[in-house]
Formats: sequence, structure tokens, C-alpha cells
Amino acid sequence: MSSSGCTFAERRVSVLCCRFCRQVLSWRGMQAVLLADTDTDLYSTDIPPSGTVDFIGSCYFTEICRCKLKNIACLKCGNVVGYHVICPCKPCLLSCNNGHLWMFHSQAVLGINRLDPSGVNVLLWGNLPDLEESTEDTSCTSEEEYIR
Amino acid sequence: MAAAAGPAGAESRVLGYSLHRWSSFSSTYLPEEQNQKLLLFTERSTSYLTFLVVCFCTCFSLNFLLRNILVDRPNDQSSRWSSESNYPPQYLILKLERPAIVQSITFGKYEKTHVCNLKKFKVFGGMNEENMTDLLSSGLKNDYNKETFTLKHKIDEQMFPCRFIKIVPLLSWGPSFNFSIWYVELNGIDDPDVVQPCLNWYSKYREQEAIRLCLKHFRQHNYTEAFESLQKKTRIALEHPMLTDLHDKLVLKGDFDACEELIEKAVNDGLFNQYISQQEYKPRWGQIIPKSTKGDGEDSRPGMRGGHQMVIDVQTETVYLFGGWDGTQDLADFWAYSVKENQWTCISRDTEKESGPSARSCHKMCIDIQRRQIYTLGRYLDSSVRNSKSLKSDFYRYDIDTNTWMLLSEDTAADGGPKLVFDHQMCMDSEKHMIYTFGGRILTCNGSVDDSRASEPQFSGLFAFDCQCQTWKLLREDSCNAGPEDIQSRIGHCMLFHSKNRCLYVFGGQRSKTYLNDFFSYDVDSDHVDIISDGTKKDSGMVPMTGFTQRATIDPELNEIHVLSGLSKDKEKREENVRNSFWIYDIVRNSWSCVYKNDQAAKENPGKSLQEEEPCPRFAHQLVYDELHKVHYLFGGNPGKSCSPKMRLDDFWSLKLCRPSKEYLLRHCKYLIRKHRFEEKAQTDPLSALKYLQNDLYVTVDHSDPEETKEVLLHEGVQRNDPAVPQLTIEVHLLLLHFRGGLHHLQRGVVVVAVLHGLHLLAKSSGTAAGTGANLGAPGCGNGQSLQVDATLKSPNIAS
Repeated sequence: MSSSGCTFAERRVSVLCCRFCRQVLSWRGMQAVLLADTDTDLYSTDIPPSGTVDFIGSCYFTEICRCKLKNIACLKCGNVVGYHVICPCKPCLLSCNNGHLWMFHSQAVLGINRLDPSGVNVLLWGNLPDLEESTEDTSCTSEEEYIR
Repeated sequence: MAAAAGPAGAESRVLGYSLHRWSSFSSTYLPEEQNQKLLLFTERSTSYLTFLVVCFCTCFSLNFLLRNILVDRPNDQSSRWSSESNYPPQYLILKLERPAIVQSITFGKYEKTHVCNLKKFKVFGGMNEENMTDLLSSGLKNDYNKETFTLKHKIDEQMFPCRFIKIVPLLSWGPSFNFSIWYVELNGIDDPDVVQPCLNWYSKYREQEAIRLCLKHFRQHNYTEAFESLQKKTRIALEHPMLTDLHDKLVLKGDFDACEELIEKAVNDGLFNQYISQQEYKPRWGQIIPKSTKGDGEDSRPGMRGGHQMVIDVQTETVYLFGGWDGTQDLADFWAYSVKENQWTCISRDTEKESGPSARSCHKMCIDIQRRQIYTLGRYLDSSVRNSKSLKSDFYRYDIDTNTWMLLSEDTAADGGPKLVFDHQMCMDSEKHMIYTFGGRILTCNGSVDDSRASEPQFSGLFAFDCQCQTWKLLREDSCNAGPEDIQSRIGHCMLFHSKNRCLYVFGGQRSKTYLNDFFSYDVDSDHVDIISDGTKKDSGMVPMTGFTQRATIDPELNEIHVLSGLSKDKEKREENVRNSFWIYDIVRNSWSCVYKNDQAAKENPGKSLQEEEPCPRFAHQLVYDELHKVHYLFGGNPGKSCSPKMRLDDFWSLKLCRPSKEYLLRHCKYLIRKHRFEEKAQTDPLSALKYLQNDLYVTVDHSDPEETKEVLLHEGVQRNDPAVPQLTIEVHLLLLHFRGGLHHLQRGVVVVAVLHGLHLLAKSSGTAAGTGANLGAPGCGNGQSLQVDATLKSPNIAS
């Protein structure tokens, strides 16, 4: 999880591009630092990037905290660009965080500032429209549909 | 034909090549030097547009790109050929500097594992692009080591050269990712002194194949002179001498008797044995209608249910059934079906009252045939009761001879065993007195933290229960790692224990929204996992029909696993799924074969009552197998009717899988020969033909095969078109009686029409009333439509 003060509205919105192949990975990036290790800076985003990255490998844990992670790679060039927090650990959840679960390594992506509709000023997160939450995960019910 | 083998000890060396053609390539990689320059620039950039412009201007030549795979630079992620997409067909064609015998291919890789590595690919080669031979089918490991593969470079021990090599990527290590090839090296012999003779031989070989095709064509079309002329000139044999003999006797001379003798000899000599062993089973379903005892008001057989459990005691031929869900509530009744008596007996109306388990569904049972004991573990609780009822995983054992239940454990989790699970699998190892259970979803209370992202479903691992010591041991935890001994837990899978080779076979299943189609075995004695198929390669080992509610059984003697498909979990696919599919896995050959598939014809022909032929597709049913008598039994389940979601089934079926025997094959061949003979006779001497049909051909007809019988009778009907002499009346009448007795009622319509037609004509010729035929009645038409018999028509007018 990432945090650097508790309000994020003043943060700039970045376009995240894959450093290797210039593919746009996300239009809603935020530069942040890692909560569990504030020396590490990275980019994060709130919504799952669709059509630009996909999971590779299996889940793992790092030594710094108990968050369950899985790497993501750019769909165009196949290089690892970051990771997704599958299951955040309690300490991270309880601390002040920006709520983003998708992280990108700063050495794998380039962050370019986005401009607001005026075309002059940089777009801030406070002005970014919220997207609707995706529908509840129905995996629980679908498993139980065919058993009796 | 003598072939030049090339000098022994010709050395293999690196072959020079260039990139000739490609399906697509991804040109967006920036080589590291360019990348550094761009990085410096963009860090000062504040506009995405500026960034784009800069990128666009960063040119790199095509030449540079094309050389990528010729150089091995594992530290440069851009030093590769990459496809633009993974949509087939994708390929890369390399042109060798000179024709060469390509003996091996080496793939270089990136310095780290990379998802674009080729998990599966094929290599083709040839002297020109239009005619390429399959040289290799394989895959790369997802690591950073070079891998070398031997390419096929010989035909019948003779080396052949290639000028072009085509690499076709089929799968990358991430299914949604593109294909990348980092470096390719080809090794072989390109010394002209060696290659030229091989080239000459290869040309001759291709010519020979072309001649054989011509010979075949000439013979099929009866260009005898051309055939003989070509054969004489080239002295090339077309086929095995016995086939030539058969062709001579049957096609040229029309000597049917000699032909039959030849076939009979071939069958007895075992020439058809391999064919027979590869023949598919034919399924024969039969609905079991048990005897009912005189009622005292209560049911004499189990009521409708899904999610129940069945086990079979093959020694006494008894099927035991316990519990389930009837659409409204869990059940606790316990039944036994005796195959010999064809009768159900209720052992207990409520096992809870007899110190046994409470009412439950989605539990699992297994039977120890030696000691005559049945075990049950697990059950399902829907979310409304998960907080109120105990989540302890109780474990019970039933002793058949003493008719008593015993609680082995109040909570197996507390004993080191699994937590309360449902939709798991359980198998009995009678020999070592052990029970194995794997998978299933763990039931948990609905927590107060309703963050669904945080509470992922948990699946239970592989456990062993030592029945002697009554202790549990965790053998494998649920693991998403891809290590050689790691296994992923799941629900809805199949697990079977092979008592002879002492392995558990596990395949299929579901994990949240993902359908798994891997297949692995676990050797219980050596504690070793062997992955039979990881579910990605589309080879013969791949598990079919994933996403269906499969039920499987095992035959340790025949080394076969039988799988009934059930219903598709994809509701949209249900419309197509009107029939079951039945698959057999041959353990030794590691191959799946389909006994029968969903039949589209059934959909087009709704008049055909499938319900009589086989059980409707369903889920939550039970299938058990008697390996001694080679019979399957199926009971109940949920037909998945969205209009009546509470409906469950209570039907009981048996299934026998039949494979054709030598005798069957011989009979069928004779039938084909005689049928053709009859057809020829019918054109020249109809009377004699009819006699032939009724005697010689009739004996070869398989009356249990509706297709064959119908065919014969249609012919019979046609034959009756000619005015017949009175003495044939008796024969026809007898024929009618005989056929009527033995046929499926749907076929009777055809019989009656054919014979009616004949009789009608007969009647006409002997002067009796034309209404004779009609008096026979038309009882047989299954679809209720009336028959039209029209004497003016040449062939029977079958209304259906």
C-alpha cells in the first residue's frame, strides 16, 4: 500500500507508459511511495488496467509485509512492470493509504503528467472523476451453483 | 531404391541464415541505448503529447530489427523478434544461405524468465515455402537457459536437406501475451558434397510418392491400361498384396464368395486385432425399474435428490446411497440397492437417530470393500446457516455387517485433518487401510468484514487418514506455485484411486472463476506428484470437457478412466448440450477418446425420445462403477431447469460399454459384402434377389442395430414392387411376424409400410380386396402419424 500524507487530492494524475515498448498502461497513475518501505517510490493506480497488462507467475509474499502479491506484465512486450496486491495485510490496511492495489515499478514505467480539460494545468486526483465500482465478485455463488 | 547416405562423420556446424518472411512483428521496442536517451528527455517533460512526438521520431532501421534474432544478447530485452499479436497464424521463416541438412535448432533467451517465451511451438522445413515438413513440435522452458532441439532430418534413415525453416509459435507462457524469439541458431551440414546427393535422393523420393498417388487415382477410376503401364514402367508397388488380391476378387471378378473367405481368413489371422482394440466403446444405457415392496405408505425407493453420495460393494453387487438435497432440505436417509434382487432397501430413514450423521448434502463417501465399512466426510451449508450451525467437520464410519454408525471424529480439523469442506473428493485404499481426501472449499463463517476482496475462497489440501491409528496427515497444502510437487486445490474435480499401481488420479475442477484442466497423479507410497498434463498443450493428454460437471470412475484392470460429462456450467452452452458425452482415458497410452459426443441431430429430431435411450444431462448426480461386472450405475441429480430450480431427479440407470468383437466385425463385413451382392442381383434377377435377401443377407443383419435393420427392410420393400407369385405370401408373413417381435417400436412403422406395400400388391395380383393391408393396423408409428400406402408408387411412402 502507498501513503505520503493522508490526502491525495493534490496529487498529479500521470499517464503510465511501459518503458520498454511505450504502450500506455494506465491513464490514472499516481506517484507514491511504498508504505512498508518509504524509500521505494513507485506509481500506483486504483482500477485494474484492462487490456494493457496481465498477471504472470504465481502469488508471493515479500519480507517487508504480509500482503499477498502477484506480478503483472505489459501485454505488448511481456516485461514485468509491477504487481497487484491480491490480498492486503492488516497493518497495511489499517494505515493511511491511497487505497490503490495496482503498483508499477518506477524503473519499468514512465509517468507523464496529464493535463486537465483546460489544456494548460496539470490534472489532479481531486478532479479526476470516480469510476463506478465494479460489481461484487460473484465467484462465491457460482461455485455453489452446481453442487446439489 | 539405393540412397546415398552421405559420408560418415560429416561435421555439424552453425548454419548461416537470414530472416525471410514473418507474419507480423512488434516494432515498438526501444533498444537500451535509445531507451536511456528517451528517459532523460521525458523526465523533464510535462506533456504526454510531447512524449509521443519524441517517441515517434526515434527511428530505428528495419535491418537492425531483422538482425535481432541472429544475435544472442540476453541482457537486452529488445533483442528479439516479437509478434504483433498472438492471434494465429504467427510464424517466422528463415532462409538458409545454402541448402543444408538442418540437424538441430537452438533457442536463446532473455536473462530472466519472460512471459513471451514460447511454451509451445512447431518447426517446419523444406526446399521451398510451399512444401514444408513437420520437423519438430515442442516447447521452451520459461527460464534463461539456451535450449537445443534435434530436428527431424531423415526420412527412412536417409537425410534430406532444407532451404527454408519456418518457426510457428503456438503458445507463450502467458496466454494473453505475444510471442518472442530472442535468438535462433541452426546447426547442420551444408557441405555441398554431402548435401547434393541427399538433394537428389529427396527429389526421387518425392517423385515416387507422386507416382503412387497416380497409380491409386488410375485404379480408382478404372484406367486399367494407364495403371498397368505406369506400374510396369516404374515398378512401384501400391499396397499390401492381400489388398490387391481383395481388389481383384471383389472389384474385378465380383467373386463374392471368395471375398468372404478372404475376409474370414483375415479376421481369424488376427489382421483386424489392432483395429478392434482401437475401436470405441458403444454405450448401452438402461433405465432400472426396481421391484417395489408392498407399501406401508412409505417409499420403497429413494426420492429425488442431488448432492447425494453413492458407493458400490462390487463383491455383493450392492449400491449404497446416503443423503442429498431434495430441492428444499438436506436428507438423512440411507439406502441399499441389490443388483441381483433388483430392489432397494431402506437401511435407515434418518441416520441421525441411529448415532449416525445428520442430514447433509455434498458430503463424500468411500467404501472399504474388504472390511465392509463406509466412511463419510464433509457437507455443505448455505450462507444463511453458516453462522448458526457448527462448522465442525464430523467424520463417520458405518459398519455394514453390524449396521452401526460410529463417530470417528467430531472435528477432523482439530485432529490435524481437513476443515469442514464441500465438493471435495475422497478415495479408499483398502490395501493399506488409508483414506485420501483432496480439495473442496472450506466453509467459514460470514465474517463481519465484508470486504469481498479480502476474503478469497480457501481450498483444502491433500490429506491422508490412517484408519488403523485414526490419525490425519497433511500431504500437500493448496499451492499456486508451479513447483514439480505442488498441487493446486480446487472443487468439482475428479479423483480416483488405482488400486493396482497405487496412484491417485486427479483432473479438472474449478477454482473460483477459473476452470482447471490439468491432470496429475499422486503415488501414495512414494509421496510423489507426476504431472500428466498441465492443461495448456493441446495434445492427446489434455482433459476434455472442462467446465462441465464431470463424473468419473476407474477400472484398474483395464487401466481406463471413464468420464461422463454432465452439464455445462456455462448456461449459454446448455442449449447445445442435449446429450451427455462419455470419454475414456487410456492410462497406459495417455490418451483420451470420446465414446460419444453431444449429438446435434438429436436437437433437429425432437420426435426421437432420447429419454428412453439415455439419462438427460445433469449435475449433482452420482456415478459408480462395478469393475468386476463392468457396469456403471447412475442416480438422480439436478437437471438444471431454470424454470423449476427445486426439481431434482430420482431416476436410476445402468450403463454398459460394449466394444465390437471379432465375430461382430466378421458378421458386419459379411453383411456389407452380401448387401452389395443383393443390390447387384436386384438389378438383374429380382426374384432371386429377394430370396437372397430373406435368407443369406437376413442372417448377417444385426437386429439390435436399428440402422441396419431399417436398411434391409427398405430394400425388401422396394423389391416387393414386382408382382409376386402367391407362394411368397407365407414367407413375407413370417418375415413380418419375426421383425415385429424384435424391433424398437419406432422401426415398426417402416416394417409395416414395407410389408404392407408388398401385401397390398400381392392382394391386388391375386384378386382380393385392396383393403387387406389396412387391416393389419398401424400400431407401430411412434410419432402418431398415419401411414400412407400408395400402390402406384414405386417405393414405400413413409410418413414420419
